Amino acid sequence: MWSYALKRAGTTAVTLLAASVIIFAFIHVVPGDPIYVLLGDTATPDQIDALRHQLGLDQPIIVQYVSWMGHVLEGDLGRSIFFQAPVLSVIADGAETSILLATMTMIWVAIIGVPIGMIAAVRHGTWLDQGLSGAAMLMASIPTFWVGLYLILIFAAWLGWFPSSGYPSVFEGGAVNLRYLVLPSLALAAPNAALILRLTRASMLDVSREDYVRTARAKGIRPWQVVRRHILRNALLAVVSAFGFTFAALLSEAVVTETVFALPGIGRLVVQSILRRDYPVIQGVILVIVVVYLLINLIVDLSYRLLDPRVELQ
Amino acid sequence: MSRDAAILWLKPFVARPIALAGLGILLATVFAAAFAPWLSPYDPYAIDPPIRLTPPGLAHWFGTDQFGRDTLSRTIHSARMALLIGSGVVVFALATGVPIGVLSALFPRLGHVLMRMVDVLMAFPTLLLALGLIVILAPSVANAILAIGLGYMTTTTRIVYGLTLRLRAETYVEAARSMGAGTTWLIGRHILPNLISPLLVQASFVFAFAQLGAASLDFLGLGAPPEIPSWGNMLAESRTFITRAPWLLFFPGMMIVATAFSLNLVGDALRDRLDPRFRQVFGEKG
Amino acid sequence: MKCRPSVLMRAAVGAAALFLNAQASAATLLREATVGEPPPLDVMLTTADVASVIGRHIFETLYAWDSTYVPRPMLADSDREEDGGRTIVIKLREDVRFHNGKEMTAKDVVASMTRWGNFGARGKLLMGAATSVEATGKYEVTLKLSAPNGAWKNLVADVNGGLAIYPEEIAANAGNRPIEQKDYIGTGPYKFVEWRPNRHVEVERFDGYKPVKEKGDGFAGARVAFFDKIRFIPVPDVGTRVSGVQAGDYDYAEMISGDLYDSLSKDGSVQVQRTNAPIFGLFFMNSKQGILKDNYKLRRAIQTALDKSQALRVAFGPKDLWSAEGSIYPKGTPWHSMEGVSGYSPHDPKKAKELAKEADYTGTPIRLLVSTNYQAHYDEASVFTRQLADAGINVQMMVVDWATLLKMRGQPEQWDIFVTHHSFSPDPLLFTFLNASYPGWWDSPEINSLRAELIKSSDQTARKATWDKIQSLIYEQVPVMKVGDAYTYDIASPKLKGLNPNGPVFWNVTAK
Repeated sequence: MWSYALKRAGTTAVTLLAASVIIFAFIHVVPGDPIYVLLGDTATPDQIDALRHQLGLDQPIIVQYVSWMGHVLEGDLGRSIFFQAPVLSVIADGAETSILLATMTMIWVAIIGVPIGMIAAVRHGTWLDQGLSGAAMLMASIPTFWVGLYLILIFAAWLGWFPSSGYPSVFEGGAVNLRYLVLPSLALAAPNAALILRLTRASMLDVSREDYVRTARAKGIRPWQVVRRHILRNALLAVVSAFGFTFAALLSEAVVTETVFALPGIGRLVVQSILRRDYPVIQGVILVIVVVYLLINLIVDLSYRLLDPRVELQ
Repeated sequence: MSRDAAILWLKPFVARPIALAGLGILLATVFAAAFAPWLSPYDPYAIDPPIRLTPPGLAHWFGTDQFGRDTLSRTIHSARMALLIGSGVVVFALATGVPIGVLSALFPRLGHVLMRMVDVLMAFPTLLLALGLIVILAPSVANAILAIGLGYMTTTTRIVYGLTLRLRAETYVEAARSMGAGTTWLIGRHILPNLISPLLVQASFVFAFAQLGAASLDFLGLGAPPEIPSWGNMLAESRTFITRAPWLLFFPGMMIVATAFSLNLVGDALRDRLDPRFRQVFGEKG
Repeated sequence: MKCRPSVLMRAAVGAAALFLNAQASAATLLREATVGEPPPLDVMLTTADVASVIGRHIFETLYAWDSTYVPRPMLADSDREEDGGRTIVIKLREDVRFHNGKEMTAKDVVASMTRWGNFGARGKLLMGAATSVEATGKYEVTLKLSAPNGAWKNLVADVNGGLAIYPEEIAANAGNRPIEQKDYIGTGPYKFVEWRPNRHVEVERFDGYKPVKEKGDGFAGARVAFFDKIRFIPVPDVGTRVSGVQAGDYDYAEMISGDLYDSLSKDGSVQVQRTNAPIFGLFFMNSKQGILKDNYKLRRAIQTALDKSQALRVAFGPKDLWSAEGSIYPKGTPWHSMEGVSGYSPHDPKKAKELAKEADYTGTPIRLLVSTNYQAHYDEASVFTRQLADAGINVQMMVVDWATLLKMRGQPEQWDIFVTHHSFSPDPLLFTFLNASYPGWWDSPEINSLRAELIKSSDQTARKATWDKIQSLIYEQVPVMKVGDAYTYDIASPKLKGLNPNGPVFWNVTAK
């Protein structure tokens, strides 16, 4: 187990290094330049060159990469060209929103997806199952921003039940500020709940085909008992790991929802930084996202190994 | 395809009316795309500012947009973009994913390297990768296909890899191998034919999610160039009119939902007729 | 606010706000929804409106425009011109404090002026001809020019790329790099507190602020901060800005789309605030390279094919919000002129075809560079492309994001026409198209001599006569096409009183 964990950590590190090269190369071939956005309309070529030199953007790309990597290894992700603040603090600020939004979304997903998926599996093949699976399919097919626009219109502008947009930190206004995240998390929950619902159903069906479940059934144990004692625990393993990946994806991929709801999250930070060519922020955020993803991947792999010794690892 | 085979393929749809409905919507979309110029009552590009933002009525069934263009005609023409992006993404994902996946499974040494690279790509957030690519390459239809396709290339590769590993382990393949069969023969005779059905399932899901991905890109102004009619562009252009002219958001939004939904239904029906050996591979991304 | 609530009261209000809606605290906090995240707030360097809107509360200028765009003393107290306008002596107001507590003196102004002249976005317009700038007293600055400049007060009357007064040590050390957040120190009625990315920029009342005696009028006159704090919150989606004000999450929202004007005017949950000075779309022609270089006939062919009011209607909606005005300056301003305006929007495809033929145009694609970051730019470009196609002129739109456009337009081989807009400017010398180094590079001998004439003279009648000639030349050489005047509008909570029609500024604004 330990040797496997070490080997796995090793490959993760290599993957990370490869990723960092890709991130860097990728970003610096983007046309456009932060200087133009920074200096605005009327900058002269002299001013542009001078500022580019000051920011170190005129050095060869290899030099820039090595200097960036050196600082990263010391835990310094650099300074944002636009926010004039350390990239780490810019990310930390966005991370609060993203983590809370993803958490709240996952709560909806757990409340909606898992129980309904279980019901569908237990009633496998019936009209109820078909109806629920169909509904899940429909939820997975709706663009989140489209739902988001209607949610704002109905629940914020017309009914006034929830705030329309923005998110003041809970550290300033208390937990009550979480109500700002209700509508966006609902918009995000719809497709993800659908996926979890289908996964729950599928893995419960898989497990229920296993021999020991058949044996239990044959012994005459009542169906719900079989579900509770034998199927659920095993089926949920797959579901829990899917939770991990969905959560990781939500941290960075809620861009469109964050834009519609004007949330200060990570996704919007990256897109905006791409559009303004704020290189240090783009590099920093993507690096952090990749690290988070790889860590979750590692944890899921290792916990599989721990929880289910039958899983064969290459 | 023989008559028996056709019946075999249609069986899952007949058993499930809802899947049949999905197939119907899909065929209707293809029909709309193919005959768009004849079906649309107006030129989708013709601007007519004096009648801008007309609500749905007899002259304009779906109303008009802020340029005074006919929303129905634009909705119909957008079906072309939807199918183009969807099939483009599917072709890209399969054309890259199948060779990489099959070769990786058959040649473990090469596979080790290739799958590591896929892992690296997987670690990048898909949508951000797409956005970055588009900014580098400038927004265009081809680049939207490439950007979205890249995300599905990785999942397709993994699925193909998993399936091929299983197939390789099957006794008959092992047997063919031990009898000295060439790799080409092995791939052509045993691997590819067995991949067709599961890949069809994968293709329909990729097609469905490509619709949503393209809509997101369009919404952020990074998808198909804004002058081309597409449902995502129609939503992006009209989102400020949600109170003033709600029909502008309703119809294209419904079309995205309908297309993605019907593709998902079709994919689901096809999956259920899959060999149970393969079904598991799709457990996660349903 | 006449009686400030006690600490206890405020705590009670704050606690209530936690459980009720955030509106309870609106008496002291103003929340403004801006169109997006600003660039650094070093207003000298940037011409981005988002930065000026915030920066105006923090930084101040020597002069400021009143509601009719006449410059009035702000940090300056008085001025006199000597040597036929070649020497300008500015007397400063005394006892003006920076946010760091230090008094503003001539040294600060000299340092700011020097940096502005070297690196400021609009600094060269005045300082290009400066031979010296010196502190000739604790409160007196003397600027010497090689030639008189008739527009100098207008050139130092706004923070947008303009001469904001920074403390000496900051201005002197900053160079061309945007100043750091900790150096956002001005003399304005609000001081900088914090900038949280994508969340807000927060400013709070500067207690050491001493308003001028004159009554507030436009940007000029007394500035009184009634709100304790202002938060500028970036809300990129215009629909969300509208819903946000309707729902009470923001007190003010900028740049609302024209098509919502009628319904919002009737909506009791918001008040509509139309700006008093129009902005206007501009299509710049490439005078340096490509098919349009020196090709005045083809340029006129293009303008002849267009119906500008169609584009304006699509881009700005109801008739109240736009006007197809051929004069560069709107009616009612001293610079309004009818010279050459018959060429503004003829919508005559037949004549356009003839002109194009005379210019030996054979259908070569004309590359039109436009960004979707501004919906109006894209709307105008789409309408024109269509109209030009009807006249047989083949325009190819290149749609890119704003950062790419800013870079590409600096490269003359990349484009033939690009789209932008210009805000109202009280003096023609501030127009970008009169700047020969601005992309488009209009540098013909005719404009050069007229420009020199305009700078030299300080007599309004003579300058107006020169301007008439320039406008006529603009319709002849078509370095740029004006789309038309558009009045943008903002919306606000009905509780706000004293909103400023010159633009979003929140001093002198109170809540009912």
